[in-house]
Amino acid sequence: MERSDVRNLYRLALFLAFAYSLPFAIGLWYGAVRVDERWFGYLATVVLSGILQGGVYAMFAVGLTLIFGVMRIINAAHGEMVMMGAYLTWVCFFLLGFDPLLSLLLTLPVAFLFGVALQKVLLQAVVGQPELTALLVTFGLGLTMIYVAELIFTTDFRTIPYAPGSVQITSTITVGQNKVISFAIAVVISGGVYLFLKLSRLGKAIRATALNAEVAMVCGIAVRRIYLITTGLAAALAVAGGALVSIQFGFNPETGVVYTLQAFTIIILGGRGHYVGALIGGVMLAVLEGLVSLMIPNGTAMIELAAYTLMIFVLLIRPGGLMGVKDA
Amino acid sequence: MTRSEHLRNLAALAVLGLVLALLPPALSVYLRSFAMFTMMYVVLALSWNIISGFTGYTSFGHVIFYGIGAYACAILVADHGWPWLPTLAVAAGVAAAVGLAIGYPVLRLKGPYFAIAMLGAAEGMRVIATVWDGLTHGGLGISFPSVENSIATYRAMLGLMLLTILVAYAVGHSRFGIRLNAIREDEVAAEALGINTTAYKLAAFTLSAVFPAVAGGIQAYKVLYIDPPSVFFVQITIAMALMSMLGGKGTVIGPIVGAVLLYTAQELTWVNFPTAHLIAYGLFIVLVARFMPRGLVGFAIDRGWARKGMVH
Amino acid sequence: MRTQAIRTLALAVVALLALEGPALANHRPNNEVLIGGAISQTGPYAEPAGRQVNSIKLWVDEVNARGGLLGHKVVLQLLDDKSDIQTAIKLYEKLITEDKVDVLLAPYSSGITEAVANINERYKKPFVAYGAASSSIWEKGRKYIFNIVAIAEDYQKGAVHLAKQIGVKRLAIIGQDSLFPRTAGKGAKDWAKKLGIEVVLDENYPTKQTDFTALLQKIKAAGADAVISNSYFADSAAQLRQMRELNIDFKLYSSTVGPGLPNFAEQLGNTAEYVLGFSQWEPIPAILKHPGMKEYTEAYEKRFGEKPNYHAGGAYGALQVTEAAVKKAGGFDNEKIREALATMEVTTIFGRYKVDAKGINDHEGLTFQILKGHRRVVWPEKWAETKAELPMPEWSKR
Repeated sequence: MERSDVRNLYRLALFLAFAYSLPFAIGLWYGAVRVDERWFGYLATVVLSGILQGGVYAMFAVGLTLIFGVMRIINAAHGEMVMMGAYLTWVCFFLLGFDPLLSLLLTLPVAFLFGVALQKVLLQAVVGQPELTALLVTFGLGLTMIYVAELIFTTDFRTIPYAPGSVQITSTITVGQNKVISFAIAVVISGGVYLFLKLSRLGKAIRATALNAEVAMVCGIAVRRIYLITTGLAAALAVAGGALVSIQFGFNPETGVVYTLQAFTIIILGGRGHYVGALIGGVMLAVLEGLVSLMIPNGTAMIELAAYTLMIFVLLIRPGGLMGVKDA
Repeated sequence: MTRSEHLRNLAALAVLGLVLALLPPALSVYLRSFAMFTMMYVVLALSWNIISGFTGYTSFGHVIFYGIGAYACAILVADHGWPWLPTLAVAAGVAAAVGLAIGYPVLRLKGPYFAIAMLGAAEGMRVIATVWDGLTHGGLGISFPSVENSIATYRAMLGLMLLTILVAYAVGHSRFGIRLNAIREDEVAAEALGINTTAYKLAAFTLSAVFPAVAGGIQAYKVLYIDPPSVFFVQITIAMALMSMLGGKGTVIGPIVGAVLLYTAQELTWVNFPTAHLIAYGLFIVLVARFMPRGLVGFAIDRGWARKGMVH
Repeated sequence: MRTQAIRTLALAVVALLALEGPALANHRPNNEVLIGGAISQTGPYAEPAGRQVNSIKLWVDEVNARGGLLGHKVVLQLLDDKSDIQTAIKLYEKLITEDKVDVLLAPYSSGITEAVANINERYKKPFVAYGAASSSIWEKGRKYIFNIVAIAEDYQKGAVHLAKQIGVKRLAIIGQDSLFPRTAGKGAKDWAKKLGIEVVLDENYPTKQTDFTALLQKIKAAGADAVISNSYFADSAAQLRQMRELNIDFKLYSSTVGPGLPNFAEQLGNTAEYVLGFSQWEPIPAILKHPGMKEYTEAYEKRFGEKPNYHAGGAYGALQVTEAAVKKAGGFDNEKIREALATMEVTTIFGRYKVDAKGINDHEGLTFQILKGHRRVVWPEKWAETKAELPMPEWSKR
């Protein structure tokens, strides 16, 4: 590690310590923080729920970071893919009567093929071009997806009433069943993807391409095929994210943009192309939002501000994110 | 480019300005509004082009300055009883200050990181406008007293557009512009040649912040009601980028052509085909970005319809 | 070459503009009147606004079947503002100055109406707003805009009264951070003050917020025993589901808009049970007994395959008011129509219309409760279909 790296890391640690203690300080000042068992129960619930939520966000953020890492493309339609996943699950649930988790077996292959087709038709041509080209191409794609969805499903909100009960952890800490289930599935899927990238031949080829596409090509890796698989995988992760989101929250065709922004924030926090970083980034983001909302007066109105401030400061202090990814 | 060519271009601009200035009485109120908004998008696209086209730093949050301008104007007129025109100067000043404050740290980031940071900054600004109740009335928005303003806003926007074109033209043909291009092509090399890249980038960024703020102020006065989601609207940034790209970013004439064409096309299609129009708009963005990365101007140059120097 | 390119471009633009020229303006045949407005057919407001469009179309066809308005055939010019203020402004300028509509229709949403109100005021073209409940629109001395629906301040009136009845002492008021929910929140606060209920938490959240875990914990920490939520569909649904997940019980939960949407109970299943909601109007002719309601409800259901909701009812009511005003004015003179709208009293399928000096109609809304998947009116008492089942049963006992 170079000296400037170490210095940046210290700065980052200081900043994070400040950022996460600020809500406590403000809460104490306004008397919103109390020192009793029940209040600690509320705090623990918020933190725990943040962790569970962060895991799900991280899973679809990994899809974004994968495309970004391998092809240097910012996929502005990622949230719309999440939205597509939510609708696919909804269709399976209400029209075909499938369990939302079982329907993943059906929707994930569909999503993978969608990603491959997208790569073939659109993205292959914009790899290596200035970032604006890819941003606009994917943004336009996202808009098209939104309005096609409006045409099919209207702008009415949908939800899927699945596992609505609660899980009692201690006498003061409770979390939702669907949150626990979503988190577990997210961990299994992201764990699977992680192992695939670390251990399998194909996964190693993807990582090699991410490090340096030209060198990979020289080594005999079929880079274009790697691109196809990467986008397929990313789309599958987004759709899986959509399925997990759909059993927790309401959605309509226009909700995708929230998830795009969330995923951007997470991969910036974690560091481009860094999978464990995405997990940490996801949890950090969700926990900070919870703390701000819980302790600052009218703090719920400010959680987006907290998220973007965190992102921009991390980016400025250490462009490589928490994990200090190089070449940022 | 020769002196006479510059003079000819300036004369053409003067004629355009004169014609547009004399036009309003002949136009219906609706056409006046349409022309005003078209000119507004010319201003937005051209300003965006200074930082993102000339300098190569893709700003995905330029709507920040438009929103700040709109709010500066609305707050001063509605809450402090200012007359409207002076508030535009304040809007420009505030935007320049915010531009410096944001630009100084964020311009250190490169490529996609800069784009995302700007996007985050724009969303953050929208939240600030929503949360800072005492200043902005938050989600309630600000309403102006109702006045007849279609000619005043038209003229103001026309003046702003001519000024923006002049400035963009001057930048494009000056040493300043050449250095910005050098930064876009290879920042490290530019630095090695002794260009103070930080100062140049910051100057370009601040310059590109001022005009959208004034445009925001004028449009706020035109629409007479603003709230955070309508002025910090991500689609406005997209429109700036798309219009520049459609015409040809990095040139002066490109963003102008792109803004006029795209805005007119949208106006003509949406009324008749609501949802289909939006799908078409999405596909259009995809196609332009995919097949015409150098825009209509680049397209024309490739086919020998225009000489490279002439269209810049 | 350059000049040639510019000339071609200029020609193209002029040609495009020419297409847009005034179509119907001055040469309208004598037996036709043009009625027009811009309403959101795409974008975030498309869902409620679309139901108003239904009613507008229904009314136009019915009027024409009756022989038209003062003997004129009604022609409808309905544009789409994309749920966008800037677009709406431009379209209303077009409708008024170019298309020269004889009667103007209102847009949807408080924000857009606030902006459009400046335009029609300038051209002295009156309309009856059916999609704007924020009373601030009528606080600015405007003369040409009238309101038919109950104002936002009263959306939670019934819920707060019911809270008082069941002995709620500490109230939490939460809501989305935009014009309409915040106005409703202000009204709820005033009603709570009048009735002597303490407001222990008053907080707004971003418009696209979906996770309310922390906010719910905060409400609990503040010791509130009932929640007044000024919310739409997604946020209201998320709040209820998360209350259930976190096993947080309140005596009462009331949301402004969400529960009134037709698919709310269906999408949420029994999590939506016992929730209070507000409605401007319900398609229950047997109870409200407004004249013509039965026929309207049946015609609407037959044509659009669902019962009309209050957005649809309000638009239809506003058109009936407009029709009456035109008849009273005996023509399409703007000032005479304005005069009629300001002074007359009529009863429509939506209820009584009679505005105060500001232009606000004293419309009385309904508070309903979702019981066994259906919306049942529980307040005011004169219209109550059934008695409210409050406090809400605990989640663990459902």
